[in-house]
Amino acid sequence: MSIGPLAFLSPWLLAALLLLPALWLLLRAVPPSAQRRVFPGVRLLLNLDETENTPARTPWWLLALRMLALAAAVLAFSEPVLNPRSEKGEGPMLILLDGGWADAPDWSDRVSLVSGLLTEAERDARPVALLQLADGPPAEPLPLRGASDAAGRLPALAPRAWYPDLAGWPEWISAQTEEFETYWINDGLAQEDERLLADALLAKGTVRLLLPEKLAAALTPPRLEQGMLRVTALRVPEQTEQTVSISAFGPDPNGIERLLGQGTGQFEPNGGQADIDIDMPSELRNRVSRIQLDVDRSAAGVVLAGDSVRRREVGLMSGGAGSEAQDLIDPLNYLRKAFEPFAETIEAPLQQMLLSSPDVIVLADVGSLADTERNELIAWVEDGGVLIRFAGSRLASSGAGQLDADPLLPVRLRAGGRSVGGAMSWGAPRQLRDFPEDSPFAGLSLPADVEISAQVMAQPDPDLPERVIASLEDGTPLVTSSPLGEGRVVLFHITASADWSNLPLSGLFVQMLERLTQSAGGFAAGSLEDVEGSVWIPTHILDGFGVLQTPELLAGVPGESLSSAVPSRDVPPGFYASGSRRVTLNVMEPDAVLTPLETLPAGVQIEGMERDQETFLGSWFLSLAIILLTLDLLITLFLSGRLNGLRRGAIRAGVSAGFFCLGLSLMTGVADAQDADDARALYAANNTVLAYVLTGNDRVDRTSEAGLRGLGVELFKRTAVEPAPPVGVDLETDELSLLPLLYWPVTEAHTPPSDEAYGRLNEYLRHGGMILFDTLDSDLAQSFGGATPNGRALQRIAVKLDIPPLMEVPPDHVLTRTFYLLQDFPGRWHSSPVWVEAAQEAETVEGLPFRNLNDGVTPVVIGGNDWASAWAIQENGAPLVPVGRGLSGERQREMSYRFGVNLVMHVMTGNYKSDQVHVPALLDRLGQ
Amino acid sequence: MTTAPRLRGRNKPQGPVGLRRDAEKIAGALPPLLAEAEVLAATVSHGAHGRRRAGHGESFWQYRQAVPGDARSMVDWRRSGRSDIQFIREMEWESAQTVSLWVDDALSMDFRAEGSERSKLERASLLALAISVLLMKSGERVSLMGTDAVQPRTGRTQLNRMAMDLGGIPRADRPDYGDPPHDTIPRGGRAIFFSDFLGDLDKLTPVLSHAADQGVKGCFVQVLDQTEEGFPFDGRVIFESMGGLTEFEAQRARSLKGSYQRKLVGLRSQLNDLAYHLGWRVLHHRTNESPRKALLWMYMAIGDRA
Repeated sequence: MSIGPLAFLSPWLLAALLLLPALWLLLRAVPPSAQRRVFPGVRLLLNLDETENTPARTPWWLLALRMLALAAAVLAFSEPVLNPRSEKGEGPMLILLDGGWADAPDWSDRVSLVSGLLTEAERDARPVALLQLADGPPAEPLPLRGASDAAGRLPALAPRAWYPDLAGWPEWISAQTEEFETYWINDGLAQEDERLLADALLAKGTVRLLLPEKLAAALTPPRLEQGMLRVTALRVPEQTEQTVSISAFGPDPNGIERLLGQGTGQFEPNGGQADIDIDMPSELRNRVSRIQLDVDRSAAGVVLAGDSVRRREVGLMSGGAGSEAQDLIDPLNYLRKAFEPFAETIEAPLQQMLLSSPDVIVLADVGSLADTERNELIAWVEDGGVLIRFAGSRLASSGAGQLDADPLLPVRLRAGGRSVGGAMSWGAPRQLRDFPEDSPFAGLSLPADVEISAQVMAQPDPDLPERVIASLEDGTPLVTSSPLGEGRVVLFHITASADWSNLPLSGLFVQMLERLTQSAGGFAAGSLEDVEGSVWIPTHILDGFGVLQTPELLAGVPGESLSSAVPSRDVPPGFYASGSRRVTLNVMEPDAVLTPLETLPAGVQIEGMERDQETFLGSWFLSLAIILLTLDLLITLFLSGRLNGLRRGAIRAGVSAGFFCLGLSLMTGVADAQDADDARALYAANNTVLAYVLTGNDRVDRTSEAGLRGLGVELFKRTAVEPAPPVGVDLETDELSLLPLLYWPVTEAHTPPSDEAYGRLNEYLRHGGMILFDTLDSDLAQSFGGATPNGRALQRIAVKLDIPPLMEVPPDHVLTRTFYLLQDFPGRWHSSPVWVEAAQEAETVEGLPFRNLNDGVTPVVIGGNDWASAWAIQENGAPLVPVGRGLSGERQREMSYRFGVNLVMHVMTGNYKSDQVHVPALLDRLGQ
Repeated sequence: MTTAPRLRGRNKPQGPVGLRRDAEKIAGALPPLLAEAEVLAATVSHGAHGRRRAGHGESFWQYRQAVPGDARSMVDWRRSGRSDIQFIREMEWESAQTVSLWVDDALSMDFRAEGSERSKLERASLLALAISVLLMKSGERVSLMGTDAVQPRTGRTQLNRMAMDLGGIPRADRPDYGDPPHDTIPRGGRAIFFSDFLGDLDKLTPVLSHAADQGVKGCFVQVLDQTEEGFPFDGRVIFESMGGLTEFEAQRARSLKGSYQRKLVGLRSQLNDLAYHLGWRVLHHRTNESPRKALLWMYMAIGDRA
C-alpha cells in the first residue's frame, strides 16, 4: 500500500488507527488522578473556597498529543518506506558504468549511486554484474555475482583516462544467453555506437539510462598563438554562460612542480568552446609541462604540453662583426628572420650564451674558437644541445677539421671550397636533391629556384654518406650531421647569407631550420606525425582523474597505434618515449568537440543520477512516538502538580541557560571582530599555542583539537614546553605568524584555500613556521599522494604552497633525536613514511660545513599516520581513540607522543639540537 | 588511621542518645550563661536569680538601720561597732526558678515534608532539651509536663530523664492535634509551650488560666514546617491530617495558597493576642531555620525579668 512517495510494508497494522477514536473517548472519561498528601495544615483549609478548578477531564490538546503519539507508534510498526521501489526487481542486473574520463569529476557520486543499486539488489537477492565500458567487453560471459561481492569490488573501481570505445560491446551483449535488467550510468557525452549498444541491451531487458546533471569539460592540446599559450576548453553546449579557469604547471629551476600561470575564459551561451590564453614570459612558458582545469578535473581536463608549445631558444653567433650598414650581407640577419616565427633568439658572447642554456646554437661562419670555448661548447653539445654551423670564408680558411676530425664539425673538410656556376667555373649553379627518407628534412618540398653556387667540401670518409642529410643533385653534401654525446652537430656547407646560395632567401631555409630546432632538446616535435615504425614506451601516463602516474606493466606501443591519436586501453594518454624522442598523447585532439548524448531508442528509460533512495521511516516514527510520550509524561506531571521539586530546579536551570545563551549571542553580536582578533593574537603571543587547521569536517576538527590537547598535556609533563590549549585556525581569516606549529589534517572534501590564504601560508613557511600535513589514511599505497582520495586532496592543496624538495626522514635527521631517540614516527597508523625537507648541501663557511636554511627546521612534515587520533584525549584524560591492540598498541601511542614531543622540540629549538652534536668538540676546544 | 564516615542529617543516630547529644551540642555553643547574667553576675550565687530585694539568700544586699521589731540576732555587730547606731545586714532574696516545658507530641508534630531534615517534634524536643541544658547550668529546675519528668528538678538525672521521654517511644494514643496536660505549674515559675498550635487554640485555655493563676509567665514556640508556611502544592490534591481523621480535596491546590496563608496569619495573630493578654511571648520557628536562633530567643525571654 502506498500514499504518494510513502508506502507501508505491513499495511494491515494501520487498522489499529481505528482504535484512536475509542481511545479518545476512553481518555476523556478518565480524569487525571489526584494525589494524596498528608498535611497537618489541613484544618486551616477546611472552609476555604477554591477559585480555580483543575479540569477533571484531560485537556483536548493533551489528548491530541497522546493520540498523535499512538498514531506515530502505529505508523512505525506498519513499516513505512519513503520512495519505495514500484516493483521488486527480479532476475540478473547489469550495472554499466561508462568509466571513461568523463566520469571522473563526479566519480564519487557514481560510486555511491552504484552502491545504492547494489544495496537494492542485495535486498532482492539479485545477481549483479558490474562492468566498466571503458575496460572493453570481458572475455568471459556475463560475470554475475552476489551483490555484496560486487560491492566489495566497488572501491577498486576507478575511471579510465580514455573514452570508452563501444565497439565490440553490442556483439558481446547480444551473445549473452540470460536476460537482465540494465542500469547504464552514462556520462552524457555522445559515443559512436551507443544506439547499437542500447538496442542490444533492450533486447535483453529493460534499460535505465542514468544521466548526470553536469557534464564533464575538457581541454584541447595547447598551442602557441601570438606569443601566448592558448588552450581551448570544451564543453557540451549549454544555454548558460560559464567561466572556466585553468592553471599551467611545470617544474621550477629546482625541478619541483609549481603553478606557473593561470587563465580564465568564458563559454558563450550555447557555445561549446572557449579559448583561454595564458600570458606568461617565454622562460616560464617553456617550462609548462601540463595545463589543467581548476575544477572538475579529469584526464581530458589535463593536457600535457610536451615540447610542441615550447619556443626554443636559439643562440646566434657570427664570426665577423656585423655592421649596421650591411644588414643584407650579415648572416645573422638571415638567421634572425628565419628563426623569428618559432624560436627566441639570443645574441651574446658564447660563454654568456651557454649560461642561458639555449636549445640550439648557430655559429655562422665561425672559424676557430678558443680552447675553453671549444670545451664548453663540446660539453654543451654532449648534454643534448644542437649545434648548427654555417660555412663561410672564415671556416674555410681556418683549416678546422681538415687534417683531423673536429668534434664540432660533422665531417672533415677539404681545404678550400668549390665554386660552381660562377664566372670562373664550368658548371651551372647546382640545385638540391630530394631529401632522403631518414633525413630530418624528409618530406619538405623543394622550390625550383634554389641554387647553390659555392660550398665547402667534405672529405670523402667511410661514414660520410650516413652523415649527409641533404645533398646537391650531384651528390655533394650540402648539410651534414653527426651525433655528439646526446647532442648533434649540423653543418650547412654554405653561408647563412645569400653569398654562396640563395637558399637563405627561400622558405625552405626556414623549414629546414625549424625541423632542426624542433628536434633539439631531446624531444621530438611532440606531434604524432612521424611515429610509425618504432616502438614507443610510455614513461608517464594519466589516470582517469588526470594525475600523472608511472606506468606499470605496460608494454611498448607500436607507432602505428600511437599515431591514431585516440587514447584507449592499450594506448593510455601520457608521455611516450622512443629512444631520445618523446611524444605526448593527449585525450582530446586539437579540433575535438564535445557533443551531448543523442536520443536513444524509445525503450530506454532515462533518469537522473539523483535516485530517491528507499528510506525506512519506521525508526523515525517510533522515535517520534517515544518523544511525544515523554512529553506527555512531563505535561501530565506538570498538570497534576507533581513536577514540583523538579520544576524549581529545571526552571532555574532553563532560565539561566536562556540568559546565558542570550548573553552569549549578544556578546558575539556586539563584540568587535577586531577585538576578537586581538584577543587571539594576544593569546597566541603570550602562550605557546599549538594550532590546527579547521577543515570544516566536525569530526576531524574535534579529533585535531583533542589530539593537540593531549600532546600539550604530554609536553607539559615531560618537557619545558608548556603549551596553552590549542586553537583552530581558519586559514582565510586568522593570523598565522604567531603559531609555531600548524597541524593540517587533509580530508577528501578539503577545498584549497584562497590565493590570499596561500600567500599567508607561504609567508608563514618562509619565516620559520611548520606545517604538519596528515592525510589520515596511512597512505595505503605508499606512493606519496595521488593514490588515495586524501592524497589527491593533499596534492591539490600543496600545489600552490612553497614546499621545498622533500625526502623521507633520513636516519640521522634531527627529528629523530631532538628529545627522544626515535627511528619511526607512528600515529594511529604505523606504516607510512614521513617526509621532510630534503637535506641541503652544506655550505662551507670558513672551512666548516654550515647549514643555514630556515634555522635548520623543516617547514613541512608530511605523513599519513593520523597522529592527532593517537594523541587525542578526552576531557578526563583517557585516550579518545584506540590505537593498535593491547600493550603493543599502548607502546605505539607512547611512540606517537614521543614523535609529537620531538616535533615540537624541533620547531622550538631550531638547529640548537643539531648543534648539540658538536658540544663535545666545543668543550674540547675550550680546554675543558 | 581510619575515620568513621561523617553522619549527616537523618543518618545521625536518633532517639534519646542522639537527641541529648544534639541538645548539648547546640547548648554548648552558647557561653555558660546565667539568666540575666550581666545584671546579676555579682549578686547571684551560681544557680540562683537575685530578686533585687532583701530576703533569704547568700549575697549581701544592704545594711539598714535596725528598727524596733527586728530580732536582736539579726544585728550585724561588726558593722554596728563602728558607729553609734545598730545595723542589720540584709541579704538578697534568692530562689531557684522552676521552668515548665510542654512539648506537643500530637501526630501533627510528626509531620516532616520532603526536603526537611527533621520533623516538627524532633525540632521541638531538641529546643526543649537545649534550653533545659542551659537552664540547669544556671541551676534552674526544669519540669517536662505530661511525662515522667513532671517533677521540677535539676541536674543530669533530670536531663537524662527528659531526654528519655522526648526521644523515646511515643505514647500510643496520640491525638491529631495536641493540648497541654493539666499538670500543676509551680507558682511564679516560667513555662515554654512547644507546639505547632494548629489545633483548636481554645483547648489551651484551662491550662493557661491555671498558669495565670499561678503567676506563671512564659512563651509559646510555634514550630512549623516550611511547607506549612509556603504551601507549595498544585493540581488535584487530597489533603489529609496525620491521623487521617480530617480530609480535604483541593481541585487546584495552587489557587488555595493565598487564602491558606491568610488563614495561617490569622491563626498566628490569634496566638499572639492570647500571649499578649497573658503577658507571654511568641516565637514562630520553622524547622529549616537554625535552632540556635530560637534557643537564644528563648533564653533571653526566660531570663528576662518577670
